[in-house]
Amino acid sequence: MRNIIYILFFMSVALHAQTKMSTAESATLKAKVKAQAFTINTLLSDFTQYKHLDFLSNDIITSGKLSFKSPNMVKWEYVTPFKYAVLFKNETLFINDEGKKSNIDIGSNKMFKQLNTLIINSVKGDMFDENEFDITCFKNGANSEVYFSPKDKKFSKYIKAFQIIFNKDGDVVELKMIEPSEDYTKIVFSNRTVNMNLSDAIFNQ
Amino acid sequence: MRYLISSFCLLFIACGSYSKKRNFQIQTTSNKIIHNPYFSNEKKDYVYKANIAVYDKLFSGIFIVKKLGEANHRIVFTTEMGNKIFDFSFLNDTFKVNFIIEDINKAILINILKKDFKALVQEKIPIIKSYSSQDTLVYETALDNKKHFYFKTQQLNKIIRVKNGKEKVTFLFLEINDIIANQIKISHSNIKLKINLKSIN
Repeated sequence: MRNIIYILFFMSVALHAQTKMSTAESATLKAKVKAQAFTINTLLSDFTQYKHLDFLSNDIITSGKLSFKSPNMVKWEYVTPFKYAVLFKNETLFINDEGKKSNIDIGSNKMFKQLNTLIINSVKGDMFDENEFDITCFKNGANSEVYFSPKDKKFSKYIKAFQIIFNKDGDVVELKMIEPSEDYTKIVFSNRTVNMNLSDAIFNQ
Repeated sequence: MRYLISSFCLLFIACGSYSKKRNFQIQTTSNKIIHNPYFSNEKKDYVYKANIAVYDKLFSGIFIVKKLGEANHRIVFTTEMGNKIFDFSFLNDTFKVNFIIEDINKAILINILKKDFKALVQEKIPIIKSYSSQDTLVYETALDNKKHFYFKTQQLNKIIRVKNGKEKVTFLFLEINDIIANQIKISHSNIKLKINLKSIN
């Protein structure tokens, strides 16, 4: 009996860890993140990616470096357990797969264009577009958790929701892409540096 | 009439069996079953970096296989960034597409992948005939009603799907460590399709 009480107690604590924000709190967070995103010219961060598939015993972990330069250059560079870089630049996707280079023109592909915009916006945290997403904000300790559910039906077949965790300063610390099946890709950022001088050479493929 | 006979003769030679063409020697063996051990451990998540070349297009991503029970495998392919491309289930003789992106949702392609992946994950295959070729034992089987030859020296090194006496698909198992093939190469001879898998875990 005592065990059941303990379990119920911990369950209620867990349930209360995340509370929905009021409209005013959501508006404050949105304003803070937007202001923060506006000041980002360059961004450099390490990342660790966890691919969760429900049937696997362990998440698949990959890690690397993210570089961003305003307005629209983003490079995801995986270092372990393989070397693979993908660069979004001038409506083209440049890929370097362990030395093998290729590129994809995304100018004509609406889905890729959306993806590119989303990646840039999610890195900065600025995804608060109510025409594109149903947005729900939660408080979790000092952090804020925001769920962005795509309104576009075609898009929502692939991604049920983006969950972004912001720290108290409004920086993105974690990005999660949740699929309709509940499998997800979680990217955790660390060693984040903003507005340092980033050479354009980093964005040459 | 003479032409007809010679045409038949030519046809007969052209369709000569794969084992005869390759000079395999018939072997008597007590083995009734050949085992493919490379995706047989339920405790292991099999994770490979995959490179796929279809005609002139190159794709890459993560290829994941999990054994979920007896004759039950799940196969998922994602991009490096984690987006799912396809998700298939094999359970006994049934095959199910759990998910596939619209761009490649074509019956002909799914059918090719289904046949290839079935050969990767099918663990026990009844032997029809046994042969030897130098230091290699060769087992003829009828996986999915299609003729497949399994080549085994110390371990299973190669599977070849054969049609009308000709090699159609080759599966190579390389860098074998116990029952893990750290590299797997699948190549088709009638279509330009190559799949290379490199273990990353």
